[in-house]
Amino acid sequence: MERRFYMLFFTAVALLCVLLPPEANAQGKSTSFPMMNGWKQSEAIQTYSPPNLYDYINGASDLYLTYDFQELQVAEYNRADKASVIVEIYRHGSPTNAFGIYSQERMANADFLEIGAQGYYEDKNLNFLNGPYYVKISSSKTGADDREILVQFAKKVTANLGEHKAFPSLLVSFPEEGKVKNADKFIGKNFLGYSYFHSAFTVDYNLSGQKFQLFLMPGDSADDCRNRLQRYFQQVKRPSDQVAEKRYEISDPYHGSIEIFWKGKYIGGILNLSPSPLREKYLSSLEARLPK
Amino acid sequence: MSEKGIGRRDFMKSSVAGLGSFFLLPGKTDGLGLRAQESKSGEKKIIHRTLGKTGIKLPPINMGVMNSDNPNLVRAALSGGMVMLDTAQTYQRGTNETMIGEVLKGRPRDSFVLATKARLPNDQKTGLYLPESTEEAFTKKIDTSLKSLGLDYVDIYYHHNVWVRDSALYEPIMNALLKAKKAGKTRFVGITTHRNEPEVIQAAIDSKFYDVILTTYNFKQKHYPEVRSAMARAAETGLGVVVMKAMGGRYLQEDSKEPIDPSAAMKWVLQDPNAHTIIAGFTTFDQMNLDLSVMENPALTKPEKAHLQRGALMAGLYCQGCGQCLARCSQNLPIPDLMRAYMYVYGYRNVVAAQDVVASLDLPLNVCGDCSSCPITCVNGFRVRDRVRNVVRLRNVPPEFIA
Repeated sequence: MERRFYMLFFTAVALLCVLLPPEANAQGKSTSFPMMNGWKQSEAIQTYSPPNLYDYINGASDLYLTYDFQELQVAEYNRADKASVIVEIYRHGSPTNAFGIYSQERMANADFLEIGAQGYYEDKNLNFLNGPYYVKISSSKTGADDREILVQFAKKVTANLGEHKAFPSLLVSFPEEGKVKNADKFIGKNFLGYSYFHSAFTVDYNLSGQKFQLFLMPGDSADDCRNRLQRYFQQVKRPSDQVAEKRYEISDPYHGSIEIFWKGKYIGGILNLSPSPLREKYLSSLEARLPK
Repeated sequence: MSEKGIGRRDFMKSSVAGLGSFFLLPGKTDGLGLRAQESKSGEKKIIHRTLGKTGIKLPPINMGVMNSDNPNLVRAALSGGMVMLDTAQTYQRGTNETMIGEVLKGRPRDSFVLATKARLPNDQKTGLYLPESTEEAFTKKIDTSLKSLGLDYVDIYYHHNVWVRDSALYEPIMNALLKAKKAGKTRFVGITTHRNEPEVIQAAIDSKFYDVILTTYNFKQKHYPEVRSAMARAAETGLGVVVMKAMGGRYLQEDSKEPIDPSAAMKWVLQDPNAHTIIAGFTTFDQMNLDLSVMENPALTKPEKAHLQRGALMAGLYCQGCGQCLARCSQNLPIPDLMRAYMYVYGYRNVVAAQDVVASLDLPLNVCGDCSSCPITCVNGFRVRDRVRNVVRLRNVPPEFIA
């Protein structure tokens, strides 16, 4: 009993550490922003919340808001030689939502780095995912050492935030063979263009030039999955179908042939692959790998 | 009627501000091409407007692709009759442009209009550009967009997100755009503005450089008359006028949680003949189909007009509770509470709630009576004294006349 209590207690503390915003120190500065040798941090840290994120990133803010954006903190660092670095820390409501917005902006062919769960460098920009944080670091006039400088910043920010290496656990349900690296996504809202399909993980595949996509939507409950499927069947003019836990072959007016299944708290399916042994293999594999 | 001679109807009648200019030409929409047109076969036809001196003919609503990563939604929009796709290099860090490029592969180049945009680092407070914002940097942005889109040229390249005149006329960016136009990388050049729009639009007119403006314009903007006038001046000089953020948010007023009717909001914009087209940022097929239906018949219905009027009233009634007025009132009146009561009456038509608020406040008998002039200057521009005097009259209305 006592052991169970301590396990629950430490789990709760760990969760709080991940989800709570970083604190400020005695000078009012966020402790997320590190001290960097040779760099002077600007006095004021800019903070943005959902109502005014637009002021900082304009039209791009709408997409961040669909991923339960909570707060953005921005700090600027300057060096004597006029070089500057800007650190932006976006905090989302959960690690899954942070992964969602990160995955929307990630190029599959980027120069990837092992920072947090994952990061990448691209011409004076270094972005990375770390638990509920999506961190963007950009530079100006840093010269040839730019990549190294940004990596140093990223490592220190990660240390301050507490390193979180994990991607959303549901991604391990997807079969590995043929997976396009770094193209997996989490779609927060309106998956496939339907308002009742949300919180969808997608993984792209390329097998000898044959490109297709698997998707998986965890529901709140089995009833939630049934309701979503019922609405989908109404949309694709199959309202008479009795929704049951099984597979369905759908002729979607906008997406063509989709095979979709409902199993427990999950809806999954496959896009852009006509009926074939390959389709059967991948769907079976996805179903078999779902969390029990 | 009460002994004070004030009833609910009298109270309501006496104060609602006029909304004379809210609708451009109520009941006379034929001249604006807003009536549904039908072909001889009976099939609905979509109206088109010309984007100023560019000569590009566009349907009244097109797709702002910014929030969509769904290529089939873009395909459906083009199949449904939309022509222009609007994106930006920053949307999803370029992956939005890449996705659009995939959709456009193999399509005849004259079957779509592609508009994209970029910005350079500026001071977030002043809106002025920083020294690193160079012509070369903007040229690089243009080249990156073309590469992501897989196109030889775009139709409009916008100088993005400007809110001060000096930045609208920033030479390094104008030089980059001019060279891009001469090199055939873009057919036309434009400028976008999300705030302080009239100043930026006037700068675009004065510059004689830009071909198109993309501006925020909606029925909830407090300064929509100024934006409307600026758009008219722009259109008169031949600028194409594209409107964004036509919805003005999700709710008529945040704390009312009454959703904005998207059809009504877009139709309100389209009443204005100088709004050549709207870019709508839909992300579902249902939203798209609704937009397509507006394209077929953009005339406002009576219920839609009533909805918009209610929204505009609320926008002009909403006290943000900054509290700056409190220290200036010699009677220490709880002015934000009184402004809330005023909004309940004239925004929500809920006189009972308003009277409850007024009754709960510890107000002096002679409200405003000792002041010959009001020392308060409201940051929202409310005529505080008039509103206070108006709403405190509710103390004299017997509850049985209200409930």
